[in-house]
Amino acid sequence: MLTITKYTIKEMIKKRAFLLIAILTVGYLFIYGYGLSLAFHNNNQVINNTPNIAKILLESQLLSAGLYFSNFIIAFLIVLTSVGAVSGDVESGAIYALLYKPLKRHEYVLGKFIGLSIIITVYSTLLFLSVIGLNIAFGTKVYLGLGNVFRALFFFDLGPVVLLSLVVASSSIMSTVNTGVLAVMTYGIAMIGGILEQMGSFFTDATSQGLSNVGIITSLILPTDVIFRKMNAELLTQNTGLSFLAQGPFGGTSQPSPAMFVYIAFYICFLLYYGTRKFEKRDL
Amino acid sequence: MILETQNLTKQFNGKGGFKDVNISIDSGMVFGFLGPNGAGKSTFVKTMVGLLYPTSGFAWINGFPIGTIESKRKIGFLPENFKYYDWMTGKELMKFHAELYKIKNSDKKIEKFLDLVKLKGHENKKVKNYSKGMQQRIGLAIALLNDPEVIFLDEPTSALDPVGRIDVREIIKRLKDDGKTVFLNSHLLSEIEMICDEVAIINHGHVIAEGKLKNLLSKNTYVEMVISDYNSELIEKISKLAYDVAFKDGKLTFKVKDKDSIPEIAKIVVDSGAKLYQLDSKTSSLEDLFINIVGKDEDVC
Ligand SMILES: Nc1ncnc2c1ncn2[C@@H]1O[C@H](COP(=O)(O)OP(=O)(O)O)[C@@H](O)[C@H]1O
Ligand SMILES: [Mg+2]
Repeated sequence: MLTITKYTIKEMIKKRAFLLIAILTVGYLFIYGYGLSLAFHNNNQVINNTPNIAKILLESQLLSAGLYFSNFIIAFLIVLTSVGAVSGDVESGAIYALLYKPLKRHEYVLGKFIGLSIIITVYSTLLFLSVIGLNIAFGTKVYLGLGNVFRALFFFDLGPVVLLSLVVASSSIMSTVNTGVLAVMTYGIAMIGGILEQMGSFFTDATSQGLSNVGIITSLILPTDVIFRKMNAELLTQNTGLSFLAQGPFGGTSQPSPAMFVYIAFYICFLLYYGTRKFEKRDL
Repeated sequence: MILETQNLTKQFNGKGGFKDVNISIDSGMVFGFLGPNGAGKSTFVKTMVGLLYPTSGFAWINGFPIGTIESKRKIGFLPENFKYYDWMTGKELMKFHAELYKIKNSDKKIEKFLDLVKLKGHENKKVKNYSKGMQQRIGLAIALLNDPEVIFLDEPTSALDPVGRIDVREIIKRLKDDGKTVFLNSHLLSEIEMICDEVAIINHGHVIAEGKLKNLLSKNTYVEMVISDYNSELIEKISKLAYDVAFKDGKLTFKVKDKDSIPEIAKIVVDSGAKLYQLDSKTSSLEDLFINIVGKDEDVC
């Protein structure tokens, strides 16, 4: 299994446009940083005269937006690099020379999953710390405690792993194309569900309840959005209980329940179990 | 018995594949599995190595049921549509497969097998830049990497030039000398004829002939005689021991199932008072046999 993991990582580095991704990521961070520098060091009277609390809200919004789109990029990269994790080998026939060996099929799938998880987690961690770093470097007024950052990092990395488990499981059962479609669509559903749930807080009673239910259902289908909101909350809620959670699409006004996190753990395990089990029984 | 099947069947929704195959192969044999395209050869081998799950029936390799990890420890397999991770160099690819077997200090071994398949000097090229033939060669090297007892080769020379084919034949002979068992899928009669001890002929998923190559071939010995002063009584007697009796170009021709009937027939001819000028016998080639058997099978279908 570890051999598969090792070579999955090697393959990513050698084959999958590793350098291109690195360069474009730097470009992305550069543009984001440029935006921050303009926004934070603006000498415009109107902004300078606004009270500090409003500035903090604005700046926390910028931070959340940076993380939101970083998260989005990571999801994109997961889909592009991992849809063929298993199905690619099946479709090319490279799987034959691997699985006639005394290598259990689930070891092969899990080996791939672990390898991809490691790469994605490293990338996602770097991106997260860069965004946070840029905000601090440009003197954000949002207080970012070390504890907050690390708890948020955990959730920031958890989302991609959840998506990856869906992609790898699907890739073990279906074709590369179908896996791509499934991953993009479910990710889209989770996203719109999350936004609708956020909108719910602007309404009262029945509408709010209905929108919230939509959010709950979509986060059961793919809990990436709910994890992102938890991340946001961890990052922006202070020990004092004061919260700078911004409203709007990137914010996290409505927070996931603890039960949701039990579900997420179950979700990853179930998908991997189901995917490997189907794969074990498959004719290749 | 290193390999044995009992009514082994693999079909795809009731179609294709192969049906009720009963084969047993002794250790150290080169076994040829011969059949036209689409006969079910690849399906059979893929079932044996655990890539496909049988619909029904049983099979064992080395005494272990197929599909189990134990049955896979001592086998090698060169797939028909060989495809390997082509972003590695040849050497890295070998190393990767050695690591899958947890072979320690594999460098010497890798050298040895690269040498065996004549890829020395190409080991640091990317596999993606290999020709089809070179990819098949490295596939063969990979199939041998774990010193398997049974090696399944599915059309191992499909991408090779005539020299490459001879190389593969030599490798198979060496494996046999080392006491290994080779299961060779092929639609190339000459290939099978040259290297196999035993063959099974498969058509439409059914094994229609099986046995030692010698026995299968001697079943069909073709005889030509030049005789004179014979009578119809003699022809009748010969017809009892032979079949397909006919006159062709002034020669009496017939086929016998058993070579030992030839001296017997000669004696009958001489005893009858006829004059025997010439007697030729020719064991039919595998091609004759193949066309004969498969052809008859087509007639039935
Ligand atoms: N995965 C599959 N699904 C459906 N039919 C298949 C599949 N694989 C093989 N077949 C059918 O089984 C038969 C035997 O194929 P195969 O074993 O590849 O033949 P051979 O190797 O002797 O040329 C063919 O009729 C083929 O169409
Ligand atoms: Mg075939």
